[in-house]
Amino acid sequence: LRKILIANRGEIAVRVIRACRDLGLAAVAVYSECDRTARHVRMADEAVAIGASPPGESYLRIDRLIDAARVTGADAVHPGYGFLAENEDFAAACRDAGLTFIGPTPEAIALMGSKTAAREVAAAAGVPVVPGTAAALGAGVGIGAIAAAAEGIGFPIMVKAVAGGGGKGMRLVTDAADLPAAVRAARSEAHSAFGDSAIYLERRLVRPRHIEVQLLADQHGRVVPFVERECSIQRRHQKVVEETPSPVVGAVLRERLTAAAAAVAAAVGYTNAGTIEFLLDEEGRFYFLEMNTRLQVEHPITEMVTGVDLVRWQIAIAEGAPLTIDPAAALVPRGHAIECRVYAEDPDAGFMPSPGRIEALRVPSGPGIRDDGGIEAGGEVPIYYDPLISKLAAWGEDRAQAIARLRRALDEYDVRGIRTTVPFFQWLLRQAAFAEGAFHTGFLDELLHQRHGARFAVTEPSLEEVAAIAAGVAESLRVTAVASSAAAAPADAAGRADAPLRPADRWRSYARAEGLRA
Amino acid sequence: VTFVVEVAGRARTIDVRRSRDGWQVTVDGRPVEVDVHAAGGRLSLLIDRRSYEVAVEPRGSADRLVHINGRQVPVVVGRRGRPGAGAAGISAAGPAVVTAPMPGRVVKLLVAAGDRVEVRQGVVVVEAMKMENELRAPKAGTVRELRVTEGTLVEAGATLAIVE
Repeated sequence: LRKILIANRGEIAVRVIRACRDLGLAAVAVYSECDRTARHVRMADEAVAIGASPPGESYLRIDRLIDAARVTGADAVHPGYGFLAENEDFAAACRDAGLTFIGPTPEAIALMGSKTAAREVAAAAGVPVVPGTAAALGAGVGIGAIAAAAEGIGFPIMVKAVAGGGGKGMRLVTDAADLPAAVRAARSEAHSAFGDSAIYLERRLVRPRHIEVQLLADQHGRVVPFVERECSIQRRHQKVVEETPSPVVGAVLRERLTAAAAAVAAAVGYTNAGTIEFLLDEEGRFYFLEMNTRLQVEHPITEMVTGVDLVRWQIAIAEGAPLTIDPAAALVPRGHAIECRVYAEDPDAGFMPSPGRIEALRVPSGPGIRDDGGIEAGGEVPIYYDPLISKLAAWGEDRAQAIARLRRALDEYDVRGIRTTVPFFQWLLRQAAFAEGAFHTGFLDELLHQRHGARFAVTEPSLEEVAAIAAGVAESLRVTAVASSAAAAPADAAGRADAPLRPADRWRSYARAEGLRA
Repeated sequence: VTFVVEVAGRARTIDVRRSRDGWQVTVDGRPVEVDVHAAGGRLSLLIDRRSYEVAVEPRGSADRLVHINGRQVPVVVGRRGRPGAGAAGISAAGPAVVTAPMPGRVVKLLVAAGDRVEVRQGVVVVEAMKMENELRAPKAGTVRELRVTEGTLVEAGATLAIVE
């Protein structure tokens, strides 16, 4: 391979471009109208416009992506995650166009993309699945039949999209009376997100943990699973914090989990990077949940504890290279890593999306810190796409050090102009249950419910007076800036302590930078 | 210049003067030693030698979000005799407006005009950034008016419903 087209945007496009650079490969970006000046476009070697801002008119347009690859002479396509990453038609279109798709085959994507078919594969491979409906419940299946199936499984149940992923088209139902509304909502969300309104039902386990196994599989039948990731910290079925290793998985359970994951992958002749998700109950029994046939959002933490560059291996596997990773070493974590998904959302307004212009940005760094971002100061977070702006991950020799470093890094994170979930993470990482690792997939929603919408940005009493002084000083600077622009600045208006601030134009530019002036 | 700054419900009178000798700041009449320098688009404050990196983000005419060493503190700034509007509070009397915080599409109305709603009860579901967001009543009352129907595309700030 010489040149890779990245059929994505945001932080994951930046991540893949970096892998291309590391390998000496050329990187082609694609962009929608609102992304012309986005970071991934400016980082790439070449960039191709693919249409209007709504994803259906750009990042989801298979024809335009294939054209972009042809025009630039790219020989391979990396889909990232989201958009077309798990779309078998896209993988097939790449193959038909003579392009190497950096991911599994269209057949494997189609098979595992059907959550009900994937459950059958797992069961046939001897891996336990969560009790639920064997067949998909398409749009033609009436609520009467669905209610009967639900009674057979027993409440509480999960209503899930057959084509699902990312927590979309998923509803928890604890009371039979709520089933019709949940089915309708899940079908509508599934239809708009995946173009397929089919659903299925699954028993809701009591306080399960979400444990997943990353794996790589080459084209020569070799499958290497990695030490598990724990992703139980979820808000409305969306992962917000991930860590590896799991605080509750020991070497024996790890051996069984990773062997089960490898068995499922081998059963479908899987190739490239993929992740098998499990639920782990309080008795230590695990159940196959689904397979993600792509690179995961949370792949950096696996890279941090294993030293393996998963994107580099994705590219190597697509080229036909054999996996040379030591399978035993892949199961032994070096230290501990935790990731926070930083979203452009206002946690104090019910996690409402907060798109807009980023006025200022300083990302954390230092020992053990990795920030995979896709934004810059002066850039915009558009309204059209997932509001993930960056993934902040910390590595430590042990879990306690990883938490301490992540807390330190969150305090260093400075974003202005938009609201982000940083204050929420600052709060979460100070919760005793988090420090103890005592959580399950419903833990965060329960914890949030108890807060009744209280503000996350806790004001420590010691900072209240500082805030008042800071606001007064900033306000006086604003007043002075207005006055000094109205009249010629008096020669000695600024004291010696403020020499760097003295010239009136510096005042004005400062005030503008602070948004204090129009 | 003298300001009245509200933090966490408590108002402080902050007097700020600058001279050849630097900054003179008093908090409720009590002098505080403050050194101020602008650095990298932020302010470096040394208050009794304690170091604070500060940025003050405007959020409306009187509301500010003060970033201090990685923490965010909301404040309301007013001039002496004209304290801040207390914008955080929604007055108990009078109508309250449910507005769209961002552009999106109305996917569901959860109430009808004339319905009684509790505070924080869902009123309208707006889809934006691929997620459905439930917009809630800012206060208890009666839905006086619904300005949108299912399928309506709304701009940021658009009035969706009025609760009285």
